[in-house]
Order: sequence, then C-alpha cells, then structure tokens
Amino acid sequence: MRPHSSHVKLALVCPPTREHVSDIDLARALISGAAWAYAETWNRFSPVVFNMAISALGSPSEAEDIVQEVFCRLVRKAKTLRQPECLRSFIVSFAIRVLKWDLRRRRVHSWLTFEPSEALVDVVRVSLDIEARDMLRRFYALLSRLGARERLVYSLRHIESMTIEETAQAMDLSLSTVKRLQERATEQLSKWSESDFELTALLLRKRGWHEA
Amino acid sequence: MRPDAGGIPDPSPLAILTELAHDARSQLPVPTPEELGNKWEMVSTRIAAQKARRRTLFRVSMAGVLATAVIAAWVLPRPGRLPGKATARADLSYQVEGGIVVDGGYLRESGSDTVRMRFTEGTEFVLSPGTRARLRSVSNSGARIAIEHGTASFQVTPRSEALWQVDVGPFLVTVKGTVFTVSWDAVSERFDLRLRHGEVAVTGPVSTGEISVKAGQRLVVNLPKKETVITEEDDGEKAANLDSPWTDSADPTQAPASEHPAPVSGRPAVRNPALATERRILDAKSGAGRDWVEAVAAGQWDHVLAEVDRAGVKQTLAHASSEDLLALADAARYRRRAGLARAALLAERNRFPGSPSALDAAFLLGRLEESRQGQIGEAVQWYDTYLAGAPTGTYASEALGRKIIATKALRGATAAESLAREYLRRFPVGPYAGAARELLLHP
Repeated sequence: MRPHSSHVKLALVCPPTREHVSDIDLARALISGAAWAYAETWNRFSPVVFNMAISALGSPSEAEDIVQEVFCRLVRKAKTLRQPECLRSFIVSFAIRVLKWDLRRRRVHSWLTFEPSEALVDVVRVSLDIEARDMLRRFYALLSRLGARERLVYSLRHIESMTIEETAQAMDLSLSTVKRLQERATEQLSKWSESDFELTALLLRKRGWHEA
Repeated sequence: MRPDAGGIPDPSPLAILTELAHDARSQLPVPTPEELGNKWEMVSTRIAAQKARRRTLFRVSMAGVLATAVIAAWVLPRPGRLPGKATARADLSYQVEGGIVVDGGYLRESGSDTVRMRFTEGTEFVLSPGTRARLRSVSNSGARIAIEHGTASFQVTPRSEALWQVDVGPFLVTVKGTVFTVSWDAVSERFDLRLRHGEVAVTGPVSTGEISVKAGQRLVVNLPKKETVITEEDDGEKAANLDSPWTDSADPTQAPASEHPAPVSGRPAVRNPALATERRILDAKSGAGRDWVEAVAAGQWDHVLAEVDRAGVKQTLAHASSEDLLALADAARYRRRAGLARAALLAERNRFPGSPSALDAAFLLGRLEESRQGQIGEAVQWYDTYLAGAPTGTYASEALGRKIIATKALRGATAAESLAREYLRRFPVGPYAGAARELLLHP
C-alpha cells in the first residue's frame, strides 16, 4: 500500500514594516523606550506639527525650530503617555504647548526690550508675487499683535482649517472659549487690517484698482 | 469707488489676507522620506547633545553638593570631636595635670602618681595609679571617658544640658551632676561604683535594663558570677572607704580600704559589706529561695517586690524561707522601701532565732536604723546584739566600725575613743581603721 503524502503550501511571512505599525503599537513602543519608535513618530507626525507651527508663525525656519523642540520634549516625556490610543492628540497637545510658550516668550521679550516682534522675512517658501509676499508679511505682523491663545485659535481655525471641536481638543479649551477667542481675534484683526492704509493700497493694487 | 462684482459684496481685507495665508500654506510641498530622515538626524543630534548637557549638569550639581557638604562638615561644629584637635567654639576645654593626652585620647602619666583632668565648667576626674583610661570625645555638653582598667573618681558639675558618659569596661555610666568613684578590673571582670552625690544610670551586661544608682549607694557587679549587688553607704563609711579625692581625709591615690580586708580568724575573709551581702547570696544559691536570690543578684529587684505585692506582704513575711526574707530585705533596701526591708529582717529574726541569718539581720537592722533620723541609739543596740552573738562574725568589723561612727554622733568623740582603740586592736587594717585613727588623733 502506498503511503499518502501531503503537501503543505509554504508562504514567506514577513514581519510588518515599521511604516505599517499602528499608532497604538507605536505609542506602546514609545512608552517602552524603543529607539526605532522615535524615528517612526518623527516620520509620521513631524509634518503635522510643522503645518500647525507654520500656520501660526508663518516662518518655515521658526516652524522647524518648534518641531525640533516638540520632539526633543516628546523623547523626554514619552513614558508619561498613559493612553496609547491617544498618541496623536498627545503630540498635538505637546505642539500647542510649545507654540504657546514660544509666542508668550516673544511677547514678554518685546515688552521687556521695548522692541516690536521681529518682522518675518521668509514668510513662506512658495512662489508668490511681490505684492502677495508683502501682504502675507503684513498679515503675520498683525497676527503677532494678538495674544497667544487668540493667535493660535485663529490660525488653527482659518489657516489650518481645523474645526472648532478639533481646535478645542488640541488647545484643551471648551468650545465656547474657542468661539469667544475666535470672535475676539477676528474683530481685532479686522480693525487693524482696515486701518492699515498701506495694506489697503496693496489689496487694491492686487485687484487692479488704482486711485484716480 | 470700489468695484462690485455681480452684486457679491467685496470680501473684507482680513478675509483676503486669511485666504492668501491659507493658499500659501497649502502650497507647501510635502517632505520626502529623505528630507524627513535628514531632519531626524538633526533632531537626534540635538537630543543627544541635550542628554550630554543634562549629564554634565547633573555631575556638576553633584560635585557642588558634595563640595558644599564637605565644607559644611568642616565648618559646622561637630559633636563628639576627638580630643587633641582644635575644638569647636562651644566645646569644653580642659587641662591635664600629671599626664598628657596621647594619640587616640589615651591618658598617659608623666611621672606623677595620679592623672587629674579639669574641664572649664568645673568638672574634674582623677585616675588612680595604673589606671588605663581614654578621653574618647569632648563636646559642649560634656565628655565621654573610657576606663579600660583601674579606678577613677569623678566630680561632675551639675548643669541642665550636661551629658557625661563613662565607659567602664562593658558598662556605661551616664551622669549629669554627681560625685562618684568607679573601678573596673579587667582580669576579674568586676565593676564597682560608689556614688556620693547625685544619681547615675548604669547600663551593661547582667542587668536587664538601666540600673539607677542613688547617692550613698554602691553598685558591685561581678560578671563571672553574674551578680549585681547594691549596698547603702553613709557619710562615715564613705570617709572610711572611699578613695574620692573630694573627701576631706582620703587620699585619692589609695585604693579603697575595703579592697584590702583584714582576715577574720575562723571565717572566710569578707572584703566589705557589699561583698558580705554578695557572699550571702552565693551561699543562699545552694538552698531554697533560689529564685529570689538569683533575681536580686541579677538586679531584678522590682520583680521580687512585685511578687511580694501580689502575694501580700503579711503572707510573705509569715511563710517565706530564710533566704527569701534576706533577698526581699535586700531588694527593698535597694529600692528604698525601708519599712518593708525592716519588716523582712525582723521576720527573719523572729522566725529563725539563733540562726546565722538572724544575726546578719541584726547587723542589717542596725544599718537601717542608722539611716533613720533619730534612731542612732537603736542602731547601736542592733550592733551590740550582733557583736554579742557573733564577735568574730562576718560583719564583726563592720558592726564595730559602725558603732564607733554612731557613738561619736550620739555621745561625742570622747565616748567613741575606747571603741576606736578596741577596733584598732582587733582589726588594725579593717575598713574603719582609718576612721578610728583619725578619731584618736583628732578627737
């Protein structure tokens, strides 16, 4: 009698690459202090932080400084993350905290030195015409006159296009507070922008209108 | 005039600016993996640099803390500073006469018979010849002295914050203000403390806890025999026995007279009253009442007294053995319960008349009466009773010596002269020989 032979199909099973690790597993690896987790967290979340920072500051170089600062602190504090499923909000909260600290530091510095905040010279690294670059520079100059919370709320809501709920969660504020801060920021920015004659002239020139 | 595009209201300047910023932000290129990798390299370098800075800062901080601690330890006053070094501002200073302090705080004689050490606040102590002692530490509240072998006499000035400690062999004597003599024989492991004034606490082997010795008491501990005996001494006895340099007639360099006893014909030599009690305890160990005798020898006087209180004093006096009654009398005397001690001794005499223990009780009753105000006459009668019953007994020299002292106090020196002559004839080197000669020379 001939013995039966069976053939089992073999397949090569590869471990999931780090790019495919879920945020929760990544958070657990961060908590355990795995070195690869820091690099993967950077790859995954540094653009998010950079976008938030540049929306608020307008300067890529300053935004990159903020991103580096956020991740340096994150490496030190990763073990304090209690809920692995909240890694994204944990990092965003870190970023908001660092941004607020940086904006307040600038205001205090300007008060102590009696010098206004430095004018931004490298507003954005995009192809804009001269008028548009000048308008953006003036716009961020107006933003810098706002308080840290108002500035962050306005930039997250209108430039970063976050919802009120997202903004409230990121900044650890109530919805009503976010709305109030947004209204206050809009009101002040409108007043300042309408009273800026050079800015008005730039807008008119942009539209092709000329004073008679 | 502003253009109106198809009736739609012009956007506000802020709206235009916000839209412009949003567009600019949207045009930002998405970073490539290579760019992200390069930037992470920069961040990693920065993180490593921060870690190195924190480590350096930690080390510098620890070095600073260490340096501060070293400086503080050097500058701040240190209690228990070793002698021979520069003392802290509040530490007592001292002078040494007849000797020097060498390395380790040891006191070495320098040709003189005795070494005397005086402290600025008035305390002083004297070492008998051949005594090996060490000044362990000096602080602002006192000092710690170690007697490794020999005899030392102390006069400690009372102060509220004073703390003087004397290590005597394995014992520790803690004093505040007092006059006492202490000795330690390392060969026979015998501890002997005589207290003239004040109160001291003694801790060490044998006793289960702290032994409090009061003025006029003598504590003898014999370690090999595990015996602890306290006896009462009065002023006359101190004058005769103590070698304290702060008594009027005694020579501080002399060993106690009782340490050189006169042999008594036909009976074992008794070195002093305390050891007589000790001998009695030893004798009693072979008989009944062993528990109380051993308890008293071990310093557990309160244990004996508590048992008596539990059983009832009358019941105990009526039924206790001869040895138990004597042990009870000792425990009561040590704890200053004179009434109970007297009752025990009287019970001993009443229940065991004619026995050697009854005679011993007569002598001890004399000692008790002598310590009571206005009862010296009674004491003399008890001494006569003892001397009549045991003219060469254990306490004969003691009884006659005490009779001299009591008679002098009761009827004057002239009345005591004949007793002094009799004493010198019978006990020429007895413990009261010095007092007898003094009486005859300076009545």
